[in-house]
Amino acid sequence: MMINELYSLFVEPFLEFSFMQRAWWGCIVLSISATPIGVFLTLRKMSLTGDAMAHAILPGAAIGFLIAGVSITAMTIGGIIAGCVVAILAGIVARHSHAEEDSSLAAFYLLSLALGVLIISAKGSNIDLLHVLFGSVLALNNDALILLTAIATITLLTLAVLYRPLVIECVDPAFFRSVSKLSPVAHFGFLLLVVLNLVAGFHALGTLMAVGLMILPAAVARFWTDKLGTMLVIAFLTSVVSSYFGLFLSFHASFATSPAIILVMGSIYILSILFGRRGALLSN
Amino acid sequence: MINITDLSVTYKDLLALDKLSIKIQTGSLTAIVGPNGAGKSTLLKSIMGQIKPDAGHIDLGKFSAKNIAYLPQSHQIDKSFPITVGEFVSAGAWQRTSFWRLFSATEKQLLSQALAKVNLEGVENRQISALSGGQFQRMLFARMLLQDADILLLDEPFAAIDAQTTVDLMAVIHDCQKQGKTIITVVHDLALVSHFFPQAILLAKQLISSGETEFVMTGENLSKAGYQHLAYIAHKPYELPPANDDIEKQEEISGAKETTLNTSNCSNPAHYEESK
Repeated sequence: MMINELYSLFVEPFLEFSFMQRAWWGCIVLSISATPIGVFLTLRKMSLTGDAMAHAILPGAAIGFLIAGVSITAMTIGGIIAGCVVAILAGIVARHSHAEEDSSLAAFYLLSLALGVLIISAKGSNIDLLHVLFGSVLALNNDALILLTAIATITLLTLAVLYRPLVIECVDPAFFRSVSKLSPVAHFGFLLLVVLNLVAGFHALGTLMAVGLMILPAAVARFWTDKLGTMLVIAFLTSVVSSYFGLFLSFHASFATSPAIILVMGSIYILSILFGRRGALLSN
Repeated sequence: MINITDLSVTYKDLLALDKLSIKIQTGSLTAIVGPNGAGKSTLLKSIMGQIKPDAGHIDLGKFSAKNIAYLPQSHQIDKSFPITVGEFVSAGAWQRTSFWRLFSATEKQLLSQALAKVNLEGVENRQISALSGGQFQRMLFARMLLQDADILLLDEPFAAIDAQTTVDLMAVIHDCQKQGKTIITVVHDLALVSHFFPQAILLAKQLISSGETEFVMTGENLSKAGYQHLAYIAHKPYELPPANDDIEKQEEISGAKETTLNTSNCSNPAHYEESK
């Protein structure tokens, strides 16, 4: 009896309903792809850059929406272009003006967010706006799943190639510039992967939450290990477990899905702050 | 020979080097000296080709940028990054392994040898964040040794490390020079320059003097470079840490048996003095 109840509570929704299976698959694929990017993003101390770029994707996706309605292709292309433009512009402004890179990124992402919301609310409904801001992981169709899987494949293959340069560039950029001309390739290649994964995350979790799937699992992992390989595994597992329980809560308690997933991750993060093996409050 | 002719460099909108002309002999050991903002690091970056000069040129002779090993200032390195000493030092093999080749058994052997040369055996699997300041600097030297380059450029390699580590690492540098490598080092400690470096370049954006250290580090030249009240330091004898025998004697006297110092051949200043 007990087992049947547990089965119907924890397993059945994911076997009975195809929208839950799609959501679960989407979250696993996103976790494979976005968490290693998040680990490098946090290690490069670029968490805020990731956040700013996530917001910057919005006007691009909004223009895609303006042209083609709720089209995955149009919104993806728009998002990628906007993300790349903002990343490059912020870099240029930081190098050629007296503004610091973080303040220029903040300025760009506020402008982008305002512009994106304006465009969508001008043409679409409030539901469209909510869809873009908070995603629709429970409504992922085949096209969206194919896109997420393709981005995950590109990300893993590119990371396999960029892994060594990226690690050396993170630890000692001055040394890396002295031995290789690949430093800008590693940097901008990585930024492109960030944009791609934010666009993937945006389809599932929306522009406001997409970066959470990158940063929070990485931040959790940092509290438990000082080994890069282990960090990547812990971040992935954190993301998968959080996604499961986020979907679980969303299904049974009718919570909005992407905030539920991020809040589960946030809870694990708070537990890690308190009990983690490295630098946690209570372990000190 | 490295031949620098009329080199002028602007760095971050400021004139960093002004019409600099120097010749650095192959196989020489040269200290670059000058106050903060004198253009020392800019000169190293210009030699590596990382900064485009406004005017003038640098001729590396039979060598190219690929023959250069660079040891950056330690504050430029992210010490909190989760990476082991072995992984960090293995980056020195980049010219041979690039981003895709496997780290071969030969490379692993070279890595072990490089770590042994700087007295860092047994710490290969330790995280770099767990190293002391001196150990960290030794690790940077190990990576430089693994590069096996013909020209070594070191940017403040002795900043914030103790005298014993300084002497140990000077022995490593001296060993590299004996192998015919050209070594150029930015050094702030004037006494260290006078004691250990046969050649010196004194900079203050412009070239103040270059050549044999004793003729470069004169009071007049140091004053011109902006060391008005510090010229005497260059002529102060460098205080070497006590040799093995002295330490043992001190331990016997004080009874401080727990004080141990890892002194092998290359770390013993007495051996260094002999090899000089």
